[in-house]
Amino acid sequence: MSKFKNIKKDFPIFERDINGNKLTYLDSGATSQKPNSVIDKMTEIYKFNNANVHRGTYVLSAETTQEYESVRSKFQSFLNASESDEIIFTKGTTEALNFLANSIANKFMSEGDDIILSEIEHHANIIPWQMVAEKYKLSIKYVKVNEDFSLDLDDLSSKLSSKTKVVSIVGESNLSGMLPDIKEINNLVRANSEALLIIDGAQLVPHRKVDVQDLGIDFLVFSGHKMLGPTGIGVVWGKKELLNSLDPVYGGGDMIEEVHYDKATWAPVPHKFEAGTPPYVEAIGLGAAVDYLQDLGMSEVEKHSDELREYGRKVLLDIDGVNVIHSQETIAGCTFGMYVDGVHAADLSLMLDTHGVAVRAGHHCVQPFHRKLGIDATIRSTAYIYNDKEDIDTLKSALISSVEMLR
Amino acid sequence: MSIREKVDEYKKILDIFPNDQEKYQYLIEKAKENDSFPSELRLDNFKVNGCQSQVWLVPEEKDEKLFFNSDSDALIAKGLVTLIASIYSDEKAEDIVSNEIDLMEEFELGVILSPARRNGAYSMLKTIKEYAKKLIT
Ligand SMILES: Cc1ncc(COP(=O)(O)O)c(C=O)c1O
Repeated sequence: MSKFKNIKKDFPIFERDINGNKLTYLDSGATSQKPNSVIDKMTEIYKFNNANVHRGTYVLSAETTQEYESVRSKFQSFLNASESDEIIFTKGTTEALNFLANSIANKFMSEGDDIILSEIEHHANIIPWQMVAEKYKLSIKYVKVNEDFSLDLDDLSSKLSSKTKVVSIVGESNLSGMLPDIKEINNLVRANSEALLIIDGAQLVPHRKVDVQDLGIDFLVFSGHKMLGPTGIGVVWGKKELLNSLDPVYGGGDMIEEVHYDKATWAPVPHKFEAGTPPYVEAIGLGAAVDYLQDLGMSEVEKHSDELREYGRKVLLDIDGVNVIHSQETIAGCTFGMYVDGVHAADLSLMLDTHGVAVRAGHHCVQPFHRKLGIDATIRSTAYIYNDKEDIDTLKSALISSVEMLR
Repeated sequence: MSIREKVDEYKKILDIFPNDQEKYQYLIEKAKENDSFPSELRLDNFKVNGCQSQVWLVPEEKDEKLFFNSDSDALIAKGLVTLIASIYSDEKAEDIVSNEIDLMEEFELGVILSPARRNGAYSMLKTIKEYAKKLIT
């Protein structure tokens, strides 16, 4: 616990006062807060190092280019990728999935092929596939979710076939905290199809140690802003030979080798996928976030998350009148979807806000999953490294008093 | 009472409450008092877009004046739309259209009327003005 004891001091936002209360921030699933080291790093670049990457032959540009590229190496070690060239920067998970959907469909899919997703996917892992499915006449199948919020892997097996070209599944549910068994999914996919396996790591990567080689998957996508980094930057990790075989979706500067008026040849991976000026300041900021997490140690981050999850289970599961959507597996994220019969989620979150408690209300971009559960909207509490048991206690007492007022 | 007078009246009431929690409680009371909305009017074409919850506004013309009936499935939003509807009800369409009072500026109502949440309350106001405009043209 010691590393986490005074951790809020590293995050200036916690100096804020919200409606006369201290801030109890439990919406890290939407975005995380930023430590000074990330904010300072970005300020430092703008103040003292700023120059466009890859273009200049002068000191400043050489420095930013070096820093930008070094972030790939940080991710290589963070994810245990085999090469730093396997790291491609994007705007975030959403753009990453749009890119993969378009590039993969264009290269590997034809009319009648199948895409397999699950019933609990975030809209970012549904809409891009629906768009390419319409364009290329593909069909989408959704793996069923069980009563206990786990994925029905028998259903996955039965849906896999030689027609399946892509399986794209969430690595950690943003509503229930459920962690699917990715290795098992990988085994099933390999045994029953030749599909590419993509993991949406938006919620997983910030919280748990991920070893892409050990998992055996083909692609991992995630957002920087949910793991202490800035907005506007995210990552696609992919196996090198697959990245080599895919074509870019965006064209422009910096992604070409040679350009003629009638054609062009692509630069090698990763640059062929990074058209135009990349968000290099954000990437470098994200590098500082990775350093911060590495200093804590991802196994410590996991342990802290597990402790908060256990405490959350103890404290939140038996509040009178509050229904909880949360994984029933031993290991899960510290994410709790909640709803109260007869009380609207929007009212609940407005009331919680008057206690300084920030949670998300709505369908959290998993509308089909809500519909399946027969609920309009939920509130969601997601904890991260800077949260502690006291935050969960505050949530509980604020919930009790809010529900009382709204009933 | 004119729109201006009603706004001032509400301002006085809202000023009594020292914090957002008590203001929300006031809106919840207002929501509970508003029990006259016929559920069969919870129709899509009366829905106000851009709110966190479902909000309905139904206009009615009586003696050359406009009246608004309102509802929501959330209490605080319902209190807010009830309040806004009462400000613009019993008024001539011309007066609603020409009125330039900015409720966001006038009322201190926490995040529900802050620019960040402008969507919900803003759409309620826009809907009311659009109904009024349609009557004039
Ligand atoms: C599981 C999951 N996938 C994808 C996303 C989309 O991430 P972003 O909005 O950063 O692109 C989110 C973020 O809410 C998420 O929770």
